[in-house]
Amino acid sequence: MAVSTRRLQKELTEITTAGTPCGITLLKADDFQTWFLTLEVLGESLYQGEVFALMFRFDSQYPISSPAVQFVNDETYQPPIHPHVYSNGHICASILGSEWSPVLSVIAVCITLQSMLASCKDKTRPPDNDRYVAHAPDNPKKTRFVYHDDEV
Amino acid sequence: MDDHRAVRTLYSGSSDLFNMNEATIEDTIPKDRPLIAPLAPMGVLRAEYENGNQVFVQQIDWLVNNGYKGIRRTRGDGDCFYRSLAFAYVERIMNSEDVDLNVMRAISTLEATPQMLLEVGFQELVFEDFLDIFKDLITRIVQPEPGRSRLTGRVLFDTFNNAEESNSIVMYLRLLTSAQIRLAPEDFAPFLFHPEIGEPMETVSFCENFVEAVGKEADHVQMTALTRALKINVNVAYLDGHARSDGVVTVDFVKFDNATEPEEPISLLYRPGHYDILDSKDQEDLTSLDPLW
Repeated sequence: MAVSTRRLQKELTEITTAGTPCGITLLKADDFQTWFLTLEVLGESLYQGEVFALMFRFDSQYPISSPAVQFVNDETYQPPIHPHVYSNGHICASILGSEWSPVLSVIAVCITLQSMLASCKDKTRPPDNDRYVAHAPDNPKKTRFVYHDDEV
Repeated sequence: MDDHRAVRTLYSGSSDLFNMNEATIEDTIPKDRPLIAPLAPMGVLRAEYENGNQVFVQQIDWLVNNGYKGIRRTRGDGDCFYRSLAFAYVERIMNSEDVDLNVMRAISTLEATPQMLLEVGFQELVFEDFLDIFKDLITRIVQPEPGRSRLTGRVLFDTFNNAEESNSIVMYLRLLTSAQIRLAPEDFAPFLFHPEIGEPMETVSFCENFVEAVGKEADHVQMTALTRALKINVNVAYLDGHARSDGVVTVDFVKFDNATEPEEPISLLYRPGHYDILDSKDQEDLTSLDPLW
């Protein structure tokens, strides 16, 4: 069995037996290509009462290769307004690009994004949102993001 | 759930519009080179420097005159130190005189490592498949699985050129290196600097960003930690293009001596930014395909 399948099976087993951390639920994981999870920031934050959905896409080299992760943007879910989240749902976070490590699981990515939202002090879109969204590739892994120290 | 693995340092920013929609990050890694190349005579490397820095040429000649006749090149994807070391480590066990003893020794060293990884907070599910692949490969030196051939030079070469298996082994070595650094912070902390900006770094963020992350090059700290965890000796020949002040050209070796029993070191070649494997042979026979394979 491929390493990617073995690993995702284990992650799924852990989610279904041990459960997910607070504010994170598994929405859909019918195969080992695309998973959906919901994300919500508990406690006091700029996102109180908002529920977001994350889409994870895995290629055959997962977990050596990072998953393509983005916020869902459809009739039910909209991406959070955040300086590192584009209105098409793409996320600029180094752990999804150059700092990716297979020690991060799907749940660990969710928790990191949850804490990114929880610590946000300025609910705005990235300054280059419109230009980016107009030309963005379908898969956010095809974008070469430039990462800066997270001050937001 | 315990969330040790959870919140990571998160650097974020904006997309780079100049580069946007160009090649993917993966495309910047040279794919034309195999992950691990067949053994080649040093003359091949020498030819690349003949029209350039003559000290390099003399250093290559020095290596040949001192018994390093061959070079096995690895792809320059940031994983080259780990991949070179892993290949040379398994190959040396495979070609050793007392194969049974050396396989047993390597397996028992590796079987003690998950405890280290768990201790520093890695979840079993993130590393066990990588370890299994590495252990299975070494075990196959003496004990072929049903329907699979015993490990030969050809099989070893093919395995290390299979991205999934090769990268799994590299990843295990990265996690082991990280665990070793995290478990002995007093030994390593004074030497943890950001490789680009030179600022001192905290142990955990150094490990997350420059050891555990895929494709990040290894330096002295990582090499010390990994040779200690694997209990091996490694000599790294530094091909730096500099002659001594008296004009004599030699090659300096940086030695990592962490074997518990006397053993010949694994020899690697360092050129600024890249590691390859040095060998006393200058060619190998990769044609011997096992009928079972």
